[in-house]
Amino acid sequence: MQLRTGQLLTIESMQLHLALGELRLSGMLTTASAQAELGRQLAIVHEHVVAQRIPSFVVDIRALSFVNSSAVRLFVNWISWAERARYRLVFLTERNVTWHRLSFSVLKSLSPGTVEINETQRGPEGSA
Amino acid sequence: MARTSPTDVPERTLKIVHRQQAVTDAMRFTELVVSHCDKACREAMVLAASELAENVAKYGAQNQDPGAGTISVSVAGNVTRIRATNTVTSPDDAHHVLNIVRRMAAKPSNVAELYRDRLRELFDKPGTSRARLGLLRLAFEGGLRVSASFEPPLLEIVAERACRNG
Repeated sequence: MQLRTGQLLTIESMQLHLALGELRLSGMLTTASAQAELGRQLAIVHEHVVAQRIPSFVVDIRALSFVNSSAVRLFVNWISWAERARYRLVFLTERNVTWHRLSFSVLKSLSPGTVEINETQRGPEGSA
Repeated sequence: MARTSPTDVPERTLKIVHRQQAVTDAMRFTELVVSHCDKACREAMVLAASELAENVAKYGAQNQDPGAGTISVSVAGNVTRIRATNTVTSPDDAHHVLNIVRRMAAKPSNVAELYRDRLRELFDKPGTSRARLGLLRLAFEGGLRVSASFEPPLLEIVAERACRNG
């Protein structure tokens, strides 16, 4: 199945929603099969961004609670594609999620001109 | 006889049988064992369970030997510990693990740098076949001290950290 604008796609325990200029990821990614499928979908999104000449693309991972290290590598790959294609990736992250806070600061250092991090912090009742 | 705390949990072991469910099973199993620990500790241990179980499933020998693949978790005092054992298909994999662990142990304050360097290598060479990020991530994100030993064909990886009871 291919991700299309406005559609929700579920990969095992993870959900992807592609909107205009934005991809929202939620849930968890724990298996090699989900990682392979996510890699395929991210390549499709990248082609979409390039074809539409979108200068800045938002990736909202605030509700993505857990990923394995193979999935971290998918973000590394995407940043390298974006750098080559000269568009920006704006990651919306959640400060209370340890892997967002730690790994995305390192991911940004790979290509500071390509990656922007917008960090939010949920309040006690879950509101940003 | 060693004194134990009321929140101590003697080592409990999960045998990795179904490779496809290995990671999910290991995460659930670990979550239960450390359920009374603080949030940061639980997150770190579940991360460790995920990464170690994935390694066991990916690189461990595929047989029904009782030592083929296990994940064990224990809590003693304020230390939580996770131990993965498996027989390896390739000694090279075991030596890679030992090498990474040695580099982390040589200068624990350098873990962030090692993690950044590895991500940089993957960024510069996207075709690299194996990410080999898991153990670095345990130390960097989870704050776990990682050690390993290899007595062919058995590889053992231990990761531990201090925790507060939740």
